[in-house]
Amino acid sequence: MGRQRLLLALILGLAIGAIVIISTVPLRLGLDLRGGTQLTLQVETTDKVPTITEQDMDAVQRVISDRVNELGVSETSVQQLGQNQLLVQLPGVSDPEQAQRVLGETAQLEFRPQSPNTDQQFQIENQILQQHQLELLALQEAANTGSQTLLESATGDDATPGDLQQQIESVQQAIQASNRAIRDLFAPADLTGQALTDAYARPRQSGNLWEVVIQFDSAGANKFAEISRDIAGTGRSIGIFLDDRLVSAPSVDVQYAETGITGGSAVISGNFNAESASDLAIQLRGGALPLPVEVVETRTVGPTLGQDSIRRSLYAAMVGLVLVLIFMAVYYRLPGILADVALVVYALLTLAAFNIFGVTLTLPGIAGFILSIGMAVDANVLIFERTREELRGGKTLYRSVESGFYRAFSSILDSNVTTLIACAALFWFGAGLVKGFALTLAIGVAISLFTAVTCSRTLLLFSLNLPQFRKPELFCPGLSTAPSKS
Amino acid sequence: MKLDIIRQRPFWWLISGLVILASLIGMIISWQQLGAPLRPGLDFVGGTRIQVTRNCSQADCASPIDSGDVRSLLADQGLETAVIQVTGSEGQSVAIRTRNLDVDEQSTLRSALDTAIGPLDSGSVQIDSVGALIGQQLFASGLLALLVSFAGIVIYLSLRFQLDYALLAIVALLHDVLVTMGVFAWLGLLLKVEVDSLFIVALLTIVGFSVNDTVVIYDRIRENINLYPERHIDELVDSGVNQTLSRSINTTLTTLLPLIAIVLFGGDTLKFFALALIAGFIAGVYSSIFIASTLLAWWRVRTGKAIVGLPEPSQPVEETP
Repeated sequence: MGRQRLLLALILGLAIGAIVIISTVPLRLGLDLRGGTQLTLQVETTDKVPTITEQDMDAVQRVISDRVNELGVSETSVQQLGQNQLLVQLPGVSDPEQAQRVLGETAQLEFRPQSPNTDQQFQIENQILQQHQLELLALQEAANTGSQTLLESATGDDATPGDLQQQIESVQQAIQASNRAIRDLFAPADLTGQALTDAYARPRQSGNLWEVVIQFDSAGANKFAEISRDIAGTGRSIGIFLDDRLVSAPSVDVQYAETGITGGSAVISGNFNAESASDLAIQLRGGALPLPVEVVETRTVGPTLGQDSIRRSLYAAMVGLVLVLIFMAVYYRLPGILADVALVVYALLTLAAFNIFGVTLTLPGIAGFILSIGMAVDANVLIFERTREELRGGKTLYRSVESGFYRAFSSILDSNVTTLIACAALFWFGAGLVKGFALTLAIGVAISLFTAVTCSRTLLLFSLNLPQFRKPELFCPGLSTAPSKS
Repeated sequence: MKLDIIRQRPFWWLISGLVILASLIGMIISWQQLGAPLRPGLDFVGGTRIQVTRNCSQADCASPIDSGDVRSLLADQGLETAVIQVTGSEGQSVAIRTRNLDVDEQSTLRSALDTAIGPLDSGSVQIDSVGALIGQQLFASGLLALLVSFAGIVIYLSLRFQLDYALLAIVALLHDVLVTMGVFAWLGLLLKVEVDSLFIVALLTIVGFSVNDTVVIYDRIRENINLYPERHIDELVDSGVNQTLSRSINTTLTTLLPLIAIVLFGGDTLKFFALALIAGFIAGVYSSIFIASTLLAWWRVRTGKAIVGLPEPSQPVEETP
């Protein structure tokens, strides 16, 4: 009795906890529900690079991530798929042309010597830029955590995210203005990325630091010698701009004041580690992809369409749930009603689990959840059928219920394990959408084991303590010779 | 209700045989017409599918979109072979399926559509573009998942039961998968319904669910064998099936109810997914009750294990008491 009360309290606590989680932690919606574009990119081999290594993939991923970030869309993601594919997700982008920019032309690289007497202003502008960038980060963070939940988007309440988006845009404009102001502190010198033949990272001869080597063609070499001679030893720097954005501002040592840096090759040294050095090298190569990349799959869903899907699925889920609830109550009477309570607890716990584990809910995922509502009562059906059999066999009510649970358990276990095997196969071998379905179904099966067995058992045994429920006909209609004692 | 399934075995096997025959015929016709047993969707053969909807606050939505307009527009772009389907409420949407278009071609097509039948609603556009290569990849991984799950189920059931239970459960599974494929082969032939990667998901779910049904019945038969080792397998199978009959039917019902809700209220994407599951689950419950059980009885009699508790188990059993 005491144990039952404890379990009852636990179930109640879990249900309340689930409600709190569902209403506070936003559900992550897949691109097919919130609208957006998903690209699958395949990295191709070249004559020079016949096999794609993990480093190659990392390099490509970094370049693509940089470009994706430049789009200014929040919650983007770039993931590696298998050996040679990348999955790029761009929420809210329903124009493939915009998405394609990710793979578009290389950025414009420019070398400019700093104008005299601009040091102070350079520092001030830099500070302003950093401040804006911090602001942007904070806003994007807010946009991420405040992303619309399933219910919000269903009711069309999107006023606040819209405001946030506007703020983000205005900060982005401020950053651009700031970038231009910095650029204007550097004089144009007609030395662009076209003159650059190579840029690569290498470890320095001593210490753990890395450096970046740049090489120019002959015309570029002359120009670079000229620029470097002019500013050597002055404390001014050479600004390296990528699409008007300053990526590096090395200064030139006084020893080159006579001739400048000649020979068409220079080394940028600084506080680089392997990663930041190779990042800079990639940027200097014009952000060019180290390997050719092909788009093998694009999927775009407009936001209106996504919301329509959500509304329809919610509707289907509700109707499905209600139908199952009615069926159980009508067919199984009192235990059916208790199983209904367990089923509602099941739905709450499963949704909360999606939120906690950060499951991204896709359309097939929702289908998996709706399907699992029907399957979740399977264990109850097994148990109640068994209970009825025992009652018809002349056992007392309490013992019938007990042995119903006990005897049905091996069937319940076997049937759920086989479903989980199918889920596991789907999860390991399936692609994106399919994985979502497998995961939601598997979570559902696992939780249903708890709710349909522990939860409904506790409720049932608890109700047997109440004399008004201790009637066999509430369990098994048409039981002619009801046992007298219970 | 009491089923006498062992005695009625020829009848139940005949029904399954006919349905499977019809499925195979559907797949063979489909193979001849389309080069594949089922009508393959974008996911498997590659191509581009663009669906656009008119923005009715600006466009003239008095009449449905004229597919003739769209066809001549596509011909201008050298896409005569495209498949056009006017959909949506009151025919205000159109879905166009073409060869694989690159992004520039997609944009050209969209703006041409916008001028010809628009203005279009930019919020409800849907574009799927799949390269042929990735299509094969999706298909291969789906098939692999199916085979692995079969193997996993055989291993698990051999551990929990015995090998013959496991193999016969797989026979019942193949039955369900074949029937579902047959239904979609015919849907593909008659209504041009295509199968996509969700169909493979549906098949795998059917595998999981249908074996579930079979396991419950086998579990009960095994329990009966342990309780009454002296009885003949035919009798034990009959009572096992009947004891679990209302469970089998009720579980299938509770699972079908939400699926029917999806068919009625869900969007286009999920509709045929739910339909595949419904077909598979009905085939599944049928095969569990009538095929898997009778197969087990038939097999045990054939291999001389009709009665477990016989004093001399080595003695072959031909006649049953």
